[in-house]
Amino acid sequence: MRPDLMNPCPPAHARLGAITLALTLATLTSGAWAQDADVNRRLDKLGAEVESLKAQLAQARPAASAEPATVFTSYGELNYNRPKGGDARADVRRFVLGFQHRFDDKTKVVTELEVEHAVSSADDPGEVEVEQAFLERRLSASTSLRAGLFLIPMGLLNENHEPTAYYGVERNTVETAIIPSTWREGGLQYVGSFDNGLTVQAGLSTGFDLTKWDATSTEGSESPLGAVHQEMALARARNISTFAALNWRGLPGLLVGASLFTGGATHGQSGYPSARVTLWDVHARWTPERWDISALYTQGRISHTAELNTPLVGNPTLIPSRFDGWYLQSAYTVWRSGDQALSPFARYERVNTGRRYEDIGSGLTPEPLPTERIVTVGVNYRLTEGVVVKADLQRFQQASDSRRLNLGLGLGWSF
Amino acid sequence: MHRGPLMRLAPVVIASLAPLTAHAVDYLTADQARRLMFPDADVFEPHEVALNAAQLQALAASGTPARSARWAVQTARHGASTLGYVVVDEVIGKFELITYAVGLNADGSVRQVEILSYRESHGHEVRLPAWRKQFIGKTTTSPLRVGQDIANISGATLSCNHVTDGVRRIVAVVEAARRNRLLA
Repeated sequence: MRPDLMNPCPPAHARLGAITLALTLATLTSGAWAQDADVNRRLDKLGAEVESLKAQLAQARPAASAEPATVFTSYGELNYNRPKGGDARADVRRFVLGFQHRFDDKTKVVTELEVEHAVSSADDPGEVEVEQAFLERRLSASTSLRAGLFLIPMGLLNENHEPTAYYGVERNTVETAIIPSTWREGGLQYVGSFDNGLTVQAGLSTGFDLTKWDATSTEGSESPLGAVHQEMALARARNISTFAALNWRGLPGLLVGASLFTGGATHGQSGYPSARVTLWDVHARWTPERWDISALYTQGRISHTAELNTPLVGNPTLIPSRFDGWYLQSAYTVWRSGDQALSPFARYERVNTGRRYEDIGSGLTPEPLPTERIVTVGVNYRLTEGVVVKADLQRFQQASDSRRLNLGLGLGWSF
Repeated sequence: MHRGPLMRLAPVVIASLAPLTAHAVDYLTADQARRLMFPDADVFEPHEVALNAAQLQALAASGTPARSARWAVQTARHGASTLGYVVVDEVIGKFELITYAVGLNADGSVRQVEILSYRESHGHEVRLPAWRKQFIGKTTTSPLRVGQDIANISGATLSCNHVTDGVRRIVAVVEAARRNRLLA
């Protein structure tokens, strides 16, 4: 781009250049300049004007006009959960620090480091995780390639999981229990975004590891894939998974999309059949004026679960062959002033983490799990961009803590 | 030897050689954008609009602060007639700068918005023609706010908000410049 077309005030810059050139020429061509007090005085005067123009230029430019080569990013959420009849908890749910660095016009690296539950040590519940670490190389104006540890493009939340981006203190249950957000894998990803509104993402990546299914724990019934995801921590990678996502935003305010992830998940380990995990979803979000309405359905399948489950009989949590969930959410901004906004919302979810179990014989095959129905009603109050205060009430039909109050503070910033 | 003046000039010389901005992903140059917006223009006259304190206060009072007192506005002309105006600006998207150009008709209404450079990993959908078309015809009497007359793009909320804020600011600045005859 030509600098003289850029706002603000290129003429000041041009004048600065011209004066500089004049000064330089004057300096170099005047043989007697050192002795000439008059020239010095004039130089001082011109120097003062240069300084004044520099100041003018600096003032006129946007606050962050210098293109950042490195951007520091961060987000965090502090939550308070008070179940009826249960233990109330206050938690630094997550605190994330990230760096993005641009090597050149086409190449950048994106990283995020996350601490969950405030303190990570042998005696504390916290975890430290590398959430993202990928290199992005732009191939053309509309296509790029990512390599490394990246978020899998599935659903509405996984790639947009900052607390300022969703309603409610807690992330929705469907995109936590069925789609194991924040879900990332290591691999190679193609991203193409086209003028007709279509974004295509597809690639090859690491996948799940069914050999680490713990049938003695209830973790698998809380989130089947959350129990076997690997997060690229010495991930078994003999089986490579494939994924693809299509999202269409051709009509302003509307997003319609679908995604698929599938791959082997036993990695040739002896004693295990060649089982496959497949997860797919369809989703839509519509934001006409003050409304924000979204809906999502997702279903997961695991193959060869009869063979996988037979040695686990007698344990409480066997591997489901199918699990699914959907939700419908609606929010409406009732008030806004400048950056502040107050948006009540309601969400209805149905989640089943054990919809179906493969037959392993009478008396041995687990009964399908009941479908959990969750109603969440609450409000997001945006104090300013990057700061959201949230409050909601959740009612679970199946879980013992049938109701709970949640309060949360979500933050996101960068510089 | 008296090296003082020369030494004092050295940083200025270096500064004057540095480009104003280095660009990452250029979809259009500013020159291409203005010719796209005003194909009939035979000349683009540069103006350095300098708003005074009273004009800046008036803009701030209207809810759209100008951010800067000085703006480079180009007037697109065909012969003696004014076709409109072009302003090139930058806003932060989610993490990085978005360079965009706003073309305005001679009456100050938005004619076209073009994204010149986008540098983020996500949110590139502000480039979508369907989204940018929403700005056509907007004036200072339009809300020009996401969630009101401009629809959001899911997954690109911050970029949408910031470009919309930027367009609203440019519409207000050009209107103030027209009203105060700063573009004559």
